[in-house]
Amino acid sequence: MVEASSVEIRKVNKYYGQFHALKDIDLTIPPGKVTCLIGPSGSGKSSLLRCINFLEEYDSGEVLIDGQLIGYETPGGRRMAPRRLRQMRSTIGMVFQQFNLWPHMTAQENVAEGLIRVRGMRKPQAMERAAEALTRVGLADRMGNHPSRLSGGQQQRVAIARAVAMDPRLMLFDEPTSALDPELVGEVLNVMKALAAGGMTMVVVTHEMGFAAHVADQVAFLEAGELVGVDVPSRILREPEDPRIQSFLRTYRERNVI
Amino acid sequence: MFSLSSFLDAFWPLTMAARYTLLVSGLGIALGLVIGAFVCVLALSKSRVWRTVAAVWVSYLRGVPMLVQLLVVFFLLPVIGIDVPAIVGAVVTTAIVASAYISEIWRGAIMALPKGQTEAAIAIGMRPRDSWTRIILPQAVALSIPQLINELILLVKASSLVSVVGVMEITRASQAQAGVTFRPLEAYLAAACLYLAINLCLAALGRWLEHRMAV
Ligand SMILES: Nc1ncnc2c1ncn2[C@@H]1O[C@H](COP(=O)(O)OP(=O)(O)OP(=O)(O)O)[C@@H](O)[C@H]1O
Ligand SMILES: [Mg+2]
Repeated sequence: MVEASSVEIRKVNKYYGQFHALKDIDLTIPPGKVTCLIGPSGSGKSSLLRCINFLEEYDSGEVLIDGQLIGYETPGGRRMAPRRLRQMRSTIGMVFQQFNLWPHMTAQENVAEGLIRVRGMRKPQAMERAAEALTRVGLADRMGNHPSRLSGGQQQRVAIARAVAMDPRLMLFDEPTSALDPELVGEVLNVMKALAAGGMTMVVVTHEMGFAAHVADQVAFLEAGELVGVDVPSRILREPEDPRIQSFLRTYRERNVI
Repeated sequence: MFSLSSFLDAFWPLTMAARYTLLVSGLGIALGLVIGAFVCVLALSKSRVWRTVAAVWVSYLRGVPMLVQLLVVFFLLPVIGIDVPAIVGAVVTTAIVASAYISEIWRGAIMALPKGQTEAAIAIGMRPRDSWTRIILPQAVALSIPQLINELILLVKASSLVSVVGVMEITRASQAQAGVTFRPLEAYLAAACLYLAINLCLAALGRWLEHRMAV
């Protein structure tokens, strides 16, 4: 396992036109730990996550990966050179709610593609490595399938393998199980738990409170673009002080009572 | 009375003329694909000027009847000192008109791809060039095949218009045949059968391609 990255988010602000989506966010993501981002819909969880690999441009503040500013040359300065940005992104894996697998390629080709185009690996080696990565997520017998011939859970595991094969030092997950049928959630969470146990730095936007409670090292709660609280799950999920968090958790529990 | 022998006799000259129908529509679509690709690049460009150029190109060519455009080109070329056979003007006009539709087909196909497709490529650190050639274009081309075949079928039918500038394609040949034999119904029915045969083949080709490219 390669070294794990840390992320430092300082006074980050993000606007969509006039709309202030992220307000002065400060958050430290320690290396090798799992940080869950929770909060109501529209609170800015995805926006914040996507600022970490600069898929979304933040307007002010700093996002530092291992102390290195991402996106800009200096805080508030010029955009960083595309080449350097790509280089930084290639060490940050991202997993999307909708999987975003490339439908015209097999599972194995999906995983190999980044190794070939970004890491400059030769195709046979890349395919071999893709096979290993897929085997680790339990898909050794599905490597030749196109995404349309895989279940949602299998597709998401391919997407995780695609990210992990790049040897990232940090993994970002945006609601990785929200698009899945309930019975398929477990297989994806298990793969994520294994990654976490391996010492990967993970930032996970999730509505799976069980995952947050049992796997996260810290949980950050956002509401209306503000970071309302950050704490270990036992405190923030069991005895939150902020009334906004209390009310969010109450709604969550009510919805999940059978 | 319908004369079966005149009907059958018409097929030989019309089949000869079909070569021009295929030449005009085939070359038209081939050149149209190339020009259409350029126009599509302009239409998707970040520069407002290029986007406007593409928009003007597309709306002129889609807004003016092809028959009128053929006549414009036919009479314009000699005026600006270009002396080429009518068939050349016909092919060029067809290609240019096709390019407008094709660029829109491709633009539509590219825009129809979910944003997440490129985002996944960007997130992994791919260069824009690779994400275009490996992720976007292969999918957009596959997605556009049914519409491109449809466009080709429209071009085969529209090629009957080039008869007005004197190209001896199926339609003009059937007029000539009718004039010689005084059997217009037989001649035009034979023409109809030929067009139908060509387009049924193209439709079959389209289904085969679609099936092959399906993921
Ligand atoms: N591209 C955009 N343009 C304009 N507004 C946007 C854009 N993306 C997000 N927003 C707005 O910013 C706010 C935060 O969005 P974001 O997607 O980060 O929320 P979220 O917490 O991830 O919500 P969800 O749980 O529904 O995914 C929302 O109000 C959303 O409408
Ligand atoms: Mg979201």
